[in-house]
Amino acid sequence: MVDVGDTLTERQYQLTRADLVRYAGASGDANPIHWSDRVAVAAGLPGVIAHGMLTMALVGRLLTEWAGDPGALVEYRARFSHPVVVPDDDDGVTLSAAGVVTEVRDDGLVGVDLTVTVGAEKVLTQARAVVRPPGAR
Amino acid sequence: MAVDPSLAAGRVYPPQAYEVSREKIREFADAIGDADPLYRDPKAATERGYLDVIAPPTFAMLPVLRGFDQLVAELGVTYAQVIHVNQRFVHARPIRAGDQLLTTTTLESVRSAAGNVLLGIRCEIAAESGEPVCEATATLLVRPVDASDG
Repeated sequence: MVDVGDTLTERQYQLTRADLVRYAGASGDANPIHWSDRVAVAAGLPGVIAHGMLTMALVGRLLTEWAGDPGALVEYRARFSHPVVVPDDDDGVTLSAAGVVTEVRDDGLVGVDLTVTVGAEKVLTQARAVVRPPGAR
Repeated sequence: MAVDPSLAAGRVYPPQAYEVSREKIREFADAIGDADPLYRDPKAATERGYLDVIAPPTFAMLPVLRGFDQLVAELGVTYAQVIHVNQRFVHARPIRAGDQLLTTTTLESVRSAAGNVLLGIRCEIAAESGEPVCEATATLLVRPVDASDG
C-alpha cells in the first residue's frame, strides 16, 4: 500500500568523465560539450557537463528499483535546470536523488516528485514521474 | 548559422526506423550502471510476462535522437550549439528487444528568447504494427554560433 508522503530512499550516483564517454557511445549522443572542455567552454559552460539524459537515466534507477519493474514507469519528465559539471579527475561529481509520493490516483498509479542535487544545487527541476507502485501487478 | 525563428512550426519529419537489439539494451543499461536482469536476461523477462528483454525507460532517447538529428541537420546548426532544456516521456509499454520502431518527429513550436531559439519537439514512437510505444516531448535551446563570449 502506497500513501502520499511515502519516500523513496535517497540514492547517490557518482559520475566521472569515463561514465560520460561510455554514455555518449551507448546513447549515440556525441555532442562534444559532454567530452571536450574546449567546446564546452566555447559554448559558455564552465567545462564538460553530463548529458541531461544521463542524469535522468540515473534518477530513473531510483524509480524503477522502487517500483520493482522498469515497465512500471509510465511517465517521466524533468527540466535540466543547472548543468552538471564533471571535472576531469578520479572522483568526478556526485548526484543525490530522492523522491516522495505526492499523488495516489483512483486508477492506482502514483505520482512521484523528485529532488536531484549536486551539493546544494538542484540540477533537475519539475522532475516528476507517474509509476505503477510496488505490488500493483 | 542562426536559426530562422520564422521556421514553420508544425513541420513533420519523415519517420525514422530504429531496430532494438538485446546487445544495445545491455550496453545502454551498463552505461547507466543499472544491473536489472530484465535488461539482460530473456528468461527473467519472460518470467515477468515480457516477450523479450526490455529497455530502461530513458532508452527511448535513442530513437528520439534520430528525430533530433533530422531537425538539427535541417536547421543547419551543430549539437555544440544545442542545450537540452527539458524532456518528457509517456510510455504506453516498455521498449523491448526485437522492436522495429518508427519515430515521427514534429517541430511543434519555434520561439526566440534572449537571442536564442527554443524549439518544442514531439516524437511519436510506434511499433511496426502502428502500436504506440512512447510519446517523447522536449525543448531544445539553440544558441547562436557567435555567442561563445556570452
